[in-house]
Amino acid sequence: MATKESLTEAIAVAGSPASGGIEKKKFSPLLWIAENGVIVFTVALILFAVIFVNGFASLPNITDVFYRAAPIGIVAVGMTFVVISANYLDLSVVAQVATSAVIFIGISNLYGLLAGFLVATLVAMLYGIVNGVAVGFFKANAVIVTLSTTFIGLGILRWLSGGSIFFGPEDGPIRAFGQASLGPIPASALLLIVITIVLWFVLNRTTFGFAVRAYGSNKQATRLAGVNTTLVVIGAFVITSLAAMIGGFALAAFSNTAVSSMSDGYEFRALAAIIIGGTSVFGGKGSVLRTLLGVVFVSVLTNILVLSGIGFGFQQMAIGALIVVAVSVDALARRAAKK
Amino acid sequence: MTSESAQTVIEASGIVKRFGGAVAVDGVSLSVAEGEIHAVVGENGAGKSTLMRILAGILTPDAGTVSVGGTTLEGGAKSAIDAGIALVHQELSLVPEMTVAENIMLGSPPTALGFTKSKELKRIAAAALDEIGVRVDLDEPIARLSVSLRQFVEIARAVARSPRVLILDEPTATLTPAETDYLLRMLQRLAAKGMAIIYISHRIPEVFSICTDVTILRDGQLVETTPISETTPSAVIDAMVGRELKLDLEVTRESHPGEVVLSATGIRAVGVHDVDLTVRAGEIVGLGGLVGAGRTELVRAIVGADPRTAGHVTMTVDGTTTTIGGYQSAVKAGIGYVPEERRTDGLALTMTVSDNVALPNRRALSTAGVLAFGAITKFVRNLADVVGLRPPEIQREVGQYSGGNQQKVVIAKWLGRKPKLIILDEPTRGVDVGAKAEIHRLVRELADEGAAVLVVSSDLPELLELSDVIHVVRDGRIQGTLPRAEADEKTVMSLASGETMVSA
Repeated sequence: MATKESLTEAIAVAGSPASGGIEKKKFSPLLWIAENGVIVFTVALILFAVIFVNGFASLPNITDVFYRAAPIGIVAVGMTFVVISANYLDLSVVAQVATSAVIFIGISNLYGLLAGFLVATLVAMLYGIVNGVAVGFFKANAVIVTLSTTFIGLGILRWLSGGSIFFGPEDGPIRAFGQASLGPIPASALLLIVITIVLWFVLNRTTFGFAVRAYGSNKQATRLAGVNTTLVVIGAFVITSLAAMIGGFALAAFSNTAVSSMSDGYEFRALAAIIIGGTSVFGGKGSVLRTLLGVVFVSVLTNILVLSGIGFGFQQMAIGALIVVAVSVDALARRAAKK
Repeated sequence: MTSESAQTVIEASGIVKRFGGAVAVDGVSLSVAEGEIHAVVGENGAGKSTLMRILAGILTPDAGTVSVGGTTLEGGAKSAIDAGIALVHQELSLVPEMTVAENIMLGSPPTALGFTKSKELKRIAAAALDEIGVRVDLDEPIARLSVSLRQFVEIARAVARSPRVLILDEPTATLTPAETDYLLRMLQRLAAKGMAIIYISHRIPEVFSICTDVTILRDGQLVETTPISETTPSAVIDAMVGRELKLDLEVTRESHPGEVVLSATGIRAVGVHDVDLTVRAGEIVGLGGLVGAGRTELVRAIVGADPRTAGHVTMTVDGTTTTIGGYQSAVKAGIGYVPEERRTDGLALTMTVSDNVALPNRRALSTAGVLAFGAITKFVRNLADVVGLRPPEIQREVGQYSGGNQQKVVIAKWLGRKPKLIILDEPTRGVDVGAKAEIHRLVRELADEGAAVLVVSSDLPELLELSDVIHVVRDGRIQGTLPRAEADEKTVMSLASGETMVSA
């Protein structure tokens, strides 16, 4: 209302530095920990393990850590897309990994590896599209949707497989992949690294990844920038499903067997890696490289507990507690950053 | 109706309220007596609602006091309620899933041992509805009632507390003329029983039909308080607008409107009733009106940001006409939309300036889906320079910039697409004077370069300064169209408030 000045005067005022305002962001230690703490914690944990944990710093043990980290890591870097798009998580990866493993072993036994790969890819696409359409088009809650598709998927798998264990042939290509390695690094861990690089590129260097990050930061503003947000959500779920499919392959190759219960707890471990890595459950902020670090942290921690003779129950409790702490720090840090 | 002997019930003196640097209410005093219906009027942003929220204890003033019956209130909503002040909010604040009776008694249900006494609850609720003479099933969930009935339930909730002071903030905004009449008569009955009523409205005829006194606010300051019998509708509008704010029309540009670019016919949507609108190339069309008149709803329906229930929208560019359905087709056809709420609808605040500007332009700034970062940086730097972003640090988070700079970023998003039509909804709200002038300059330049421009603004001087033609919207309809030569603050305000002394 108070435009009594002439336009030229007003523009002269605008030219003065006083009106060009930015609020300097205050440094928040909590936000720093939420975003970067994983680096410090991972290094500290590894140092601790090397010094104090008997048997940690041996080549066979390191290889074992890699073997166990690879499938879960592949699932986690993929699921990072769903988390960054502010759709919480994809619980159905637990069903998808087992389904993929059973298809890879079962179908390959009958019709060869290529057939196994094609069927597994088709099923993964279907998962991604069903989850993505329900969440992106119908705007259903991602947690409820993927909890339900977990039920559907595991139900179908147990019904069709009868809960039996599938064994791959000793001389088959899946077994060969499972046993291949580069020095102490197994092929599945190399696959994890390749997938991380590819997904990093997709998230940070393509228009699709850009739209996923923008959507996670502000859904309305992204829609009003002309982005087809339904396709963005479907894309994020499809990428997650394809990664879960490859994770299922790596898991099957590790033991050369497949059974519907083999991926129990994967959805949770993947979530732990993502959140501990510093990707915010509020969306918009995060990266697949952080998730990779989170995977290292969770895998090393699990290995330390195993080496120390601590049982599965305690491991489960520790991971649950870690997630609660990590999401609380994240929420607290975001709130502090807004002030 | 006022008599010298009437007892003053509520008295506010020297109220000051600041939000950040802006002064919303600046030293306003107000006193209302028993049986008085006291109107508080002013333009959008004059400070009316802020003042009422201070009276109701929802906001704490930076200076000044509120007293009821001679006792100064301690502050806080509870002390105001206890003193007998009831506020009927502008936005409906009922719980849709709960019943009429539960909503009326929300916050103060009668209880025994922590359990709600449902018979007692219904009895008080029924009495409150009786008091205002509205018949509605007590067990009906609010969600099943019409918007106007909800407004009456809201009033019943206030009346149920038997307040000494009843404050109504724009109660007739959602009502039909017949319902409005009913409400006005009801308020007169309540006043006759001795209640002090403070009545906020943009509608001058309503004020003159029932109020006894009127207080006029402008830019947070008290202009005057007079008995209704000593003033006229025309004088009240003059005082709301403030004659000295008349703009120098010499600074406005020559316009040379070309072909029709946007054509919208028969637009219907929530809050919009059968609107036709065209915008020509090189023309700036202004949409004036009061907050809640349906202007934002109208432009959102035109671009497809919200669904339309009827109507047809086309864009004609270089002789080719395309139909605008969903929002993405609007963007493809060359429409740029700067929304009213920049922080929720316009920007991803946690992303950088560069990301925000690049988002709607990502296809042009990529090859085969891979972003070209060199091109993006060059593109965004150039646009930051055009809109005058200060400081021009394009890798900084947008949320760290001031409101004016944020608005420049939203405009920059669309400038890069060379829009054929740009729609700006309240382009300078919450923006400092310097940035405001720069945004005005940009809007004029766009029109000079041949873009069609549609501006929604509640800031009258801005609307008059920018627009070649102004459509005034009230109740979701265009009530009148004023070419620049015929438009002044008074004619626009009269049309907007329903004061029908000007022929449309």
